[in-house]
Amino acid sequence: MQVEKFYYDNKIVKAFGFATIVFGIVGMLAGLWAAIQIYYPEISLNFAPTTFGRLRPLHTNAIIFAFVGNATFAGVYYSLQRLCKARMYSDKLSWIHFWGWQAIIATAAITLLLGKTTGKEYAELEWPIDIAITLVWVVFGINMFGTILKRREKHLYVAIWFYIATWVTVALLHIVNSIEIPVSFMKSYSWYAGVQDALVQWWYGHNAVAFFLTTPVLGLMYYFLPKAANRPVYSYRLSIIHFWALIFIYIWAGPHHLLYTALPDWAQSLGVVFSIMLIAPSWGGMLNGLFTLRGAWDKVREDPVLKFMVVAITCYGMATFEGPMLSLKSVNAISHFTDWTIAHVHIGGLGWNGFMAFAILYYLIPKMWSTNLYSRKLATNHFWLGTIGIIIYAVPMYWAGFEQSLSWKAFTPEGQLKFTFLQTVINIKPLYILRSIGGFLYLVGAFFMVYNLYKTIRRGKFVPDEAAEAAPLVKVAAKKREYWHRIIERRPLTMLVLSLIVVAIGGLIELIPTFLVKSNIPTIASVHPYTPLELQGRDIYIREGCYTCHSQMVRPFRDEVKRYGEYSKAGEFVYDHPFQWGSKRTGPDLAREGGKQTDAWHYTHMYDPRLMSPGSLMPRYIWLLDDALDTASTPAKIRAMQTMGVPYPEGYDKIANVELMHQADSIAANLKKDKIETSSNKEIVALIAYLQRMGRDIKAEPKQAITENR
Amino acid sequence: MLLSVFKKSKRLIRPVGIILLLGLSQAVWAAGPPEPSAFSNPLAITFIILIVLLLIIIGILANVLLGAADIKVRKNKKSSAPTVIGSMVILLLLSCGSLFAQVGAFKAETTVSTASTVGGMAASAFYVMASVIFLELILIIILLINIRFLLKLEKEKVETSIIKIQTAAERKSRLSWWDKFNKFRPVTQESELDLGHDYDGIRELNNRLPPWWIYGFYLTIIIAGIYFWRYHVSHTAPSSKEEFEISMTNGDRKVEQYLKMKGDNVDENTVTLLTGAEDIAAGKAIFNNPQNCITCHREDAGGNVGPNLTDDYWLYGGNIKEIFKIIKYGTNKGMRSWKDDLSAKQMAQVAGYIKSLHGTNPLNPKEHQGELYNEEPIAKPAGDSIKTLNDSMKVNNNKVVMN
Repeated sequence: MQVEKFYYDNKIVKAFGFATIVFGIVGMLAGLWAAIQIYYPEISLNFAPTTFGRLRPLHTNAIIFAFVGNATFAGVYYSLQRLCKARMYSDKLSWIHFWGWQAIIATAAITLLLGKTTGKEYAELEWPIDIAITLVWVVFGINMFGTILKRREKHLYVAIWFYIATWVTVALLHIVNSIEIPVSFMKSYSWYAGVQDALVQWWYGHNAVAFFLTTPVLGLMYYFLPKAANRPVYSYRLSIIHFWALIFIYIWAGPHHLLYTALPDWAQSLGVVFSIMLIAPSWGGMLNGLFTLRGAWDKVREDPVLKFMVVAITCYGMATFEGPMLSLKSVNAISHFTDWTIAHVHIGGLGWNGFMAFAILYYLIPKMWSTNLYSRKLATNHFWLGTIGIIIYAVPMYWAGFEQSLSWKAFTPEGQLKFTFLQTVINIKPLYILRSIGGFLYLVGAFFMVYNLYKTIRRGKFVPDEAAEAAPLVKVAAKKREYWHRIIERRPLTMLVLSLIVVAIGGLIELIPTFLVKSNIPTIASVHPYTPLELQGRDIYIREGCYTCHSQMVRPFRDEVKRYGEYSKAGEFVYDHPFQWGSKRTGPDLAREGGKQTDAWHYTHMYDPRLMSPGSLMPRYIWLLDDALDTASTPAKIRAMQTMGVPYPEGYDKIANVELMHQADSIAANLKKDKIETSSNKEIVALIAYLQRMGRDIKAEPKQAITENR
Repeated sequence: MLLSVFKKSKRLIRPVGIILLLGLSQAVWAAGPPEPSAFSNPLAITFIILIVLLLIIIGILANVLLGAADIKVRKNKKSSAPTVIGSMVILLLLSCGSLFAQVGAFKAETTVSTASTVGGMAASAFYVMASVIFLELILIIILLINIRFLLKLEKEKVETSIIKIQTAAERKSRLSWWDKFNKFRPVTQESELDLGHDYDGIRELNNRLPPWWIYGFYLTIIIAGIYFWRYHVSHTAPSSKEEFEISMTNGDRKVEQYLKMKGDNVDENTVTLLTGAEDIAAGKAIFNNPQNCITCHREDAGGNVGPNLTDDYWLYGGNIKEIFKIIKYGTNKGMRSWKDDLSAKQMAQVAGYIKSLHGTNPLNPKEHQGELYNEEPIAKPAGDSIKTLNDSMKVNNNKVVMN
């Protein structure tokens, strides 16, 4: 057989690698800045783009899609070529993918800081960017499958199974969750409302973790760990079982983000049970990784790459055990909405994703520059700084979550709540400070890496096209008794279709009944659509990212009902495009905020929260008092809502602004009574209108009817 | 003699292990269906799980230590000289044993105290559990130090080559539990497991699945099935709503009992004007809390967002009962309800303090609001005016809601 000579494309790997480093630093800086704001609100600079509500989405998006995304692409482009014994299908597509992705990131950073957001966590980007993501993802897919189809290796290695599953599932998740109706160039409303939106969003949100932060990185582990340790993969059988079980079960677990909410109980329970069943499949990856190191532990002591990987895999194991535990209702009752969740995701983010990305960079760059790492010692120092950083980050956050939750639930013997919400926040402020120190150490470690890699590059010589040889693939009749899974491994398209079927099952079973069966969301007669002014106010609420600190979901707990009022019902959210239930309470729940405070209180509170609640950690929103409300968008917004079935009367878009001004005037007049002079066309007026509306509909309902609707 | 001691202690390990497993399963079960017992307290569950996990770790470490000590003793026998090491091992074991006993005792205590406190977690239970965890951590550290110590001795010996041949069998017996636990095949037999796959130099072995992993997987599937069955088929576990109602009833009952015991259950019909210096001082402290009244009424009660409380004009009546009622339920004009933040007694104290401020004439007061009131109570029945309040609130709501 003739051996063919060909070249691996290292240039594209280098580009993605550099992007990983740049956006890793940017994302971590944004995170650190946001973390400091929580205990030192002035550092928001009282400047709209740098307040917590806009920085936090920037941080999460930068870390997930820019840092881990680019690291994944670097790793995939490197390993896929070598596992397929072929150069990438098309260099042109590779570069379209690269520049397309970086352009998306840059646009995302700008639009998020400008407050252009859909208000759905980890899917905040507006519709034009969503379309761009879809296109670039398709380009990546074509390039990947093109390479796989022209491979010189008969069977697909386990890493490639994970890449394929990642590609198909992310496509599915992104498209379904991003169905939205555009209002203007950078504004859209989610097609789904309330409970349905929440279910779709967390089906997406949970599986963004699963299929953007877990499966591709597992794939990378399967390539880079055995390579770095020079050991065979521990168990092929384990690979097969844990791969299929993982992708099948993961997709179901989304509703565990919505325990005790207005989501129907059956869907919540599905989330719980599939999370429990997820432990073993998740751990399969960890075991296969760690057991592969059997007989190579002496190398772990020496090699920084392996050091990072071992801690990364251990963190993965801890996070995937903790996750199912957090899905148990009794644990979730404590952990949800607190910093416990933050600690949990950062074990995954800093530990698993961050350390894997570092390990891969430490492996790739000396290889591609055909030299050795500049300083092993510096890398080891990075490793220790990072590890200590993770501990100093996570332990205070676990503590904070636990302490705050118990404080929320504490009653005096007289049956009063023991702490005001603000007290529970002020009590954990020292822990917030500690957390930012942990994050800072981690960031310093990353700078060590930048220096180390820079020095490595300086002393090596880049190999843009790496020569390789392999025999072409020839069709040979299959052996008679082949292991069944080997057949699938020979057929990439079968693999793709099977993965799609396996991941689609869970999604369909959970989503379809919630959309079609009416009893899942009982209607409440007194719930009405928002007035035009309230709708505009709600869009300001979304723009400022209020949902990053305030939930809108009173759970059926004694303390929450006592603190906030009647617990939230599914029927209350039918006009909420998008839902704003939130996932974290750095501030109190706002679901029943309407009527609790005066208009003047809200006005002053937005000007400076500390005037009304001394010690508050909320940023100031001075610009809302000065900026004029954009009423030109009102008719389009009303029409968009009508398209989605919100029952505004026909032709309402034409008179909407008249009603809007009418309501605004009455609020301005109300403020004037309290000696606050403001013109009624300011943004603050719209926001006050929305805040005063929240959760009030149900109060107009006769008591009897509420009970029936429970 | 020594050997028999070890055999005994080894025999002990197994029942202990079974008990631990039982404990674990109990904890898992408790985490699933919440029942009105100590196990329904999430903190307690977390503690118990932690305690059990640490116990398992202790068990494993103890096993390792015993194995290591066993080897040591056998060696000593060979050299037929009861040396310092021998006595040391006995000492170590004794200390371990006593600690084990202690843990057992604590565990028993824990169960007793949690059983006596249903619902919330009593302070005593909390501290007992916390100290158990603390103790377990110390125990783990002691075990680690001991193991390290033994291993170090081993190392030194090897280095000084007093014992030349450390037989493979002995080493194996020390680590066998881990190998057995995972069904490991020795690394030397690896070639038999090689599947012959080669992907860019990566080979694949065909090792068996670790038995605990696969059985653990089956177990989670069974637990998932039982969970779903209990919540949605047999309905033997409460739904979110039922759980809520249970917690409300329990909470209310507890408060009621407490108040009955304490005699602090005044309401707007039974409240009387408190004039004692202690009550006025307490009322003042609540009033002046930066989170409370002074935000709207000012520290001197001269009025700001809210009305002046020192003059003769009252929006909702200046009777002690009416003031109490406004504090308790709030109004639709901006005054919030305080009944969830203050106890009845505290609200009565605040009302008393407000009454005591009458006529203090603060600087720059807010203009008079409401009707002139003189201390000649024309108390309307309390229930009626609350109703009016609620009605006006509804009207207000409808105004905001677009039809």
